[in-house]
Amino acid sequence: MNRLRHLFNVYGAVLAAVPKFYTAYRAWVWMEFVVQILAMVVLYFFWQAVYASGGALGGLTFQQTINYVMLAQMLMPLVENRLIFNFGWMLREGQIAIDLLRPMDFQARLYVDAVGNLFLNLLVKAPLLIMAVVFFQVQLPRDVTTWLVFIVALALGHAVMFFFDWIFSCLAFYSTETWGLSVVRVAVVTFFSGAIVPLQMMPHWLQTTANLLPFAQSVYVPVSFLSGVTPSSAAAQAWLIQLAWLIGLGVISRLVFRRSLRKITVQGG
Amino acid sequence: MLRRYTSLYWFFLIQRFKILMEYRLNFFIGLTSTIFLQAAGLLGIWVIVSQVPDLNGWTLDQVLLIYGLLTLAKSINHMFADNLWVIGWGYVRPGGFDRFLVRPINPLFHLLADRFCHDGLGNFLVGAALVIVSSINLHLVWTPLNLLYLIVVVISGGVIFIALNLITATSAFWIIESIPVTQIVFNTHEFARFPLTIYPKAIQLFLTILIPYGFASYYPATQILGRDPGLLAWLPPFVALVLAVFSYRVWLFGLKHYGGTGS
Repeated sequence: MNRLRHLFNVYGAVLAAVPKFYTAYRAWVWMEFVVQILAMVVLYFFWQAVYASGGALGGLTFQQTINYVMLAQMLMPLVENRLIFNFGWMLREGQIAIDLLRPMDFQARLYVDAVGNLFLNLLVKAPLLIMAVVFFQVQLPRDVTTWLVFIVALALGHAVMFFFDWIFSCLAFYSTETWGLSVVRVAVVTFFSGAIVPLQMMPHWLQTTANLLPFAQSVYVPVSFLSGVTPSSAAAQAWLIQLAWLIGLGVISRLVFRRSLRKITVQGG
Repeated sequence: MLRRYTSLYWFFLIQRFKILMEYRLNFFIGLTSTIFLQAAGLLGIWVIVSQVPDLNGWTLDQVLLIYGLLTLAKSINHMFADNLWVIGWGYVRPGGFDRFLVRPINPLFHLLADRFCHDGLGNFLVGAALVIVSSINLHLVWTPLNLLYLIVVVISGGVIFIALNLITATSAFWIIESIPVTQIVFNTHEFARFPLTIYPKAIQLFLTILIPYGFASYYPATQILGRDPGLLAWLPPFVALVLAVFSYRVWLFGLKHYGGTGS
């Protein structure tokens, strides 16, 4: 029990440091808000024009699609993280030696950090969600079940992405080109997570690729529940698949990290 | 005067490339990064628009031509005026901007020439590829006159991008951190990726009169596609000129207020 309280205190302190970062960059938070509203306006009229020529794309109605693309657009930044830059920085500055010596699990600490960011991001996004409902005809589910299904799927998807990024960030141990690597990652993840186009609308070969990659677990799966594309009765199956990705990537991430540590070369410092 | 500045720019460019060639891999990554970042969005547009007969009366290739023209204009801004983004934290805050003021050349010229941004080359390649591929698919005939029109409107579009960024970057003289302001105005260019007719009249007017990104993509594309937008087809160079003069006035006004950060 004492140990549990200790853990809570330690990780609670990590969690509490996250909002401080946001208040320090208030102008940037506002900027992101406006930029996202602009993007939503473009999305809305683009999709209206797409559906104006009639029919249902990929079996989705206009309403379902609008729900999906707006919510996906809002949630996409949630699965982004700066893990590879953190790694790169820690290696460059030699900070990693101190972080590894701390009496808490290195990966667990950074995961708590990522969860804190997710929570805060969700809070920051709340007004945007209201605007989406009021101005862009987005319809949110009214039953509690769907919301719960969504939240669990989001938490699982977020963790899947965290573990993928953990493995990916280990490349920083081998190469200093973290920026170039991250650009490629953003491009691939943005498309194959379903953040731009729902998986149903992709041609077969792109759909297959998306299903073989873990990214759809973090955007497509949770968003399709919230937007009414996937019924909440399919939740159990979706969660199991997410869990399988989570465990698989989780185990690999620990192994890869342990191996990479042997490669460690701190530059000067 | 013009000759002096041209040769000066050349010197700056050679110095810049000497730095870039020290880190060849970085140069290559920067160049390809913008291509990658465009790819995700373009793949999305291709997936969707190729499934419908048309987007408000515009076929996929016509939409890609609009997108290509906008990307070319954007790349000019990206290559030659990227320093406008970082004027706040890169020059004004650390005091480096004072360096420009004591030199016998135009401070704005110095700021822009200080860093040619090679990442913009990637955008240029994407834009050029889009224009070439779409015009082949559309069987467009490039007479010398058409080609001249293309070059003029792409440069005009680039000037529109730069002038708008110059106006917003000038805010750095008061608030130092100008990036959020620049980002908000800059991002309205995303509207101009698509035919303006998909938007309500108010947004169309906004992109024609207030923040005229429409002249960097939609109106020239209508002309190239033979849809005859009338007078609007010939306005891009004039809009660019007026905006350039206006933005330079704003810049001079800001410069008068500049007092340094005391660092």
